[in-house]
Amino acid sequence: MTRHTRLVMSMIYWAFVLYIFVPLILMVTMGFKDSKFIGFPIRSWTLDWYLEVFGDAEVLSAFGYSMLIGVSSTLVSLAVGVWIAVLLNGRGFVGKGLIYGLTLLPALIPGIISAISFRIYAQLWGIPPGTGAIIWCHAVHNVPFVVLIVAARLGTLPKSHLDAARDLGADPIIAFMRVTLPYLRPALIGGGVFCMLISFDDFVRSFFLGGYQPTLPVLIFAKLRSGMSPEINAIATVVLVLTGLLGIWAERTTRRMKQGKLHS
Amino acid sequence: MPGKVQTSAATLAGKSGAVTRTGERDGRSLWGVIAASQVYQAFSNALLSSPRRQFAILIAFPVLWVLTQHLGPMLQMLYVSFVEAYPVSSGYEQQFTLDNYARFFGSAIFIMPFFRTLAFAATLTLATLVLTYPVAYFLARHVKRSNQMIFLLLLLIPFWVGEIVRTYAIMILLGNNGAVNLVLKWLGLIDRPIPFMYTGFSLSVGIIYLSALYMLLPLYSALEKLPRSYTEAAADLGAGPWARFWKVTLPLSLEGISSGATLVFLISTGYYATPVLLGGPSTTVFAETIAGFFHTAGDEWPTGAAFACLMFVTALAISLAFGQMMNRLQKGVRK
Repeated sequence: MTRHTRLVMSMIYWAFVLYIFVPLILMVTMGFKDSKFIGFPIRSWTLDWYLEVFGDAEVLSAFGYSMLIGVSSTLVSLAVGVWIAVLLNGRGFVGKGLIYGLTLLPALIPGIISAISFRIYAQLWGIPPGTGAIIWCHAVHNVPFVVLIVAARLGTLPKSHLDAARDLGADPIIAFMRVTLPYLRPALIGGGVFCMLISFDDFVRSFFLGGYQPTLPVLIFAKLRSGMSPEINAIATVVLVLTGLLGIWAERTTRRMKQGKLHS
Repeated sequence: MPGKVQTSAATLAGKSGAVTRTGERDGRSLWGVIAASQVYQAFSNALLSSPRRQFAILIAFPVLWVLTQHLGPMLQMLYVSFVEAYPVSSGYEQQFTLDNYARFFGSAIFIMPFFRTLAFAATLTLATLVLTYPVAYFLARHVKRSNQMIFLLLLLIPFWVGEIVRTYAIMILLGNNGAVNLVLKWLGLIDRPIPFMYTGFSLSVGIIYLSALYMLLPLYSALEKLPRSYTEAAADLGAGPWARFWKVTLPLSLEGISSGATLVFLISTGYYATPVLLGGPSTTVFAETIAGFFHTAGDEWPTGAAFACLMFVTALAISLAFGQMMNRLQKGVRK
């Protein structure tokens, strides 16, 4: 490659980085504006919007609610996802490809269709809209991601480890609990955080399956519909920072796993 | 031989720290205690006695789960799309009908958003491809391998933030008092702000912003796998940069293009909040049409279900046809 094309390419990359970051930076900046009106220019600055957010019971309760849903649905997704991944990583059987395809299905269904199909399905099972329904839908939606991440890690587990456990008399369940599960730890952390983030940020499923209590994205949506305000910027900024930190931590964990620095 | 199993399981659990390092405190882990307990032994002997039984237990739950949880909602939606009313009021028989589908073909209010959504999704998929291909190429071929993760991470972080927050960021960028208008005014190019918001333009910017990553990652992994020696060989044989790109790099990254395009296409037909917030009356997408049937009580659900089925089946068919086409192209390349 010539130096010229390399330069052009790197400029395109940095332009793309700008495209990704500028809107978010503007959004963060606007949260410090000392005026009710969203828009440039910003003449004076304030931290009041943040104080307001941290004193707003509605926002705090929505935040807690989203956390509750995120953690609960992630636990379900992890349990189910690990089970499916162990099955798919094991010996072949008739219909394995079909099970694999069906496992990935929720990740491919467009958001709105996934949300309303679950709304109808919840009705079939007599589950009212609300916490249970959201957790259930988020859990199902996140299973494919857990399976993919866990299966990648399982593929690197030396078969000799399990053989050794079996030779020492462990039955499959004990061998799984004492050999496989500890080995999967980094994948569980990475996959778990990934599920948490997807669930925490999800709007469309929570919107159609929710009851009267809004999750944080649903609350932000409702606030946006009644008008933009720097308070929304402050909420969004807090979400952005938390999401970023959690994501980087999970990414570091999975990367160290790939480099083989984490063994147990 | 229950006795033997018991002692050896206890041995593994209690003493052999070599297998795993977690859990041991005072020589015996929780799982060791469980494994040695009478109850667990009975359970293990009853259920895990033969490999066939073990496999039956392993496979039962996943099959049940994917059928009832992954496939079930779709099948139920398909079923509801063919009934007259859902849920059925007590005392009435469930009637099957095609009216829900007929309703779609009867009105431009429904047909227009449908095709608009498909056209939007297709155009935006292409735009995303053109936009992210150079980025993926740069990452995979020009950045040092040890730095690639950091460069990629820089783009990944913003994508972890959800649909609503990023849509809001675009609203601030493009609003009448937004950053773009401010810069244009400052440059003296405009007197009055350009109304970007609530148009096809703002919606497009928003959707590309949301889905670029789904294109970037497959492209990156396809390009990263492509051995540098191929383009070097082409260069040795006298191919210029453009010829190398069209004849070597592009054909060999078709797999990444195919999976990226499929993902972006399917996902962008399903955005709901973004069109509501960034679009206007002239950009109503089918997701909004479908959602409209679910804001009211159950009586409109079958129509909504039918519309959702139409959308999903069409989008899936287009993706599959596209995938087939890419496959054939790829086979042509291999020959």
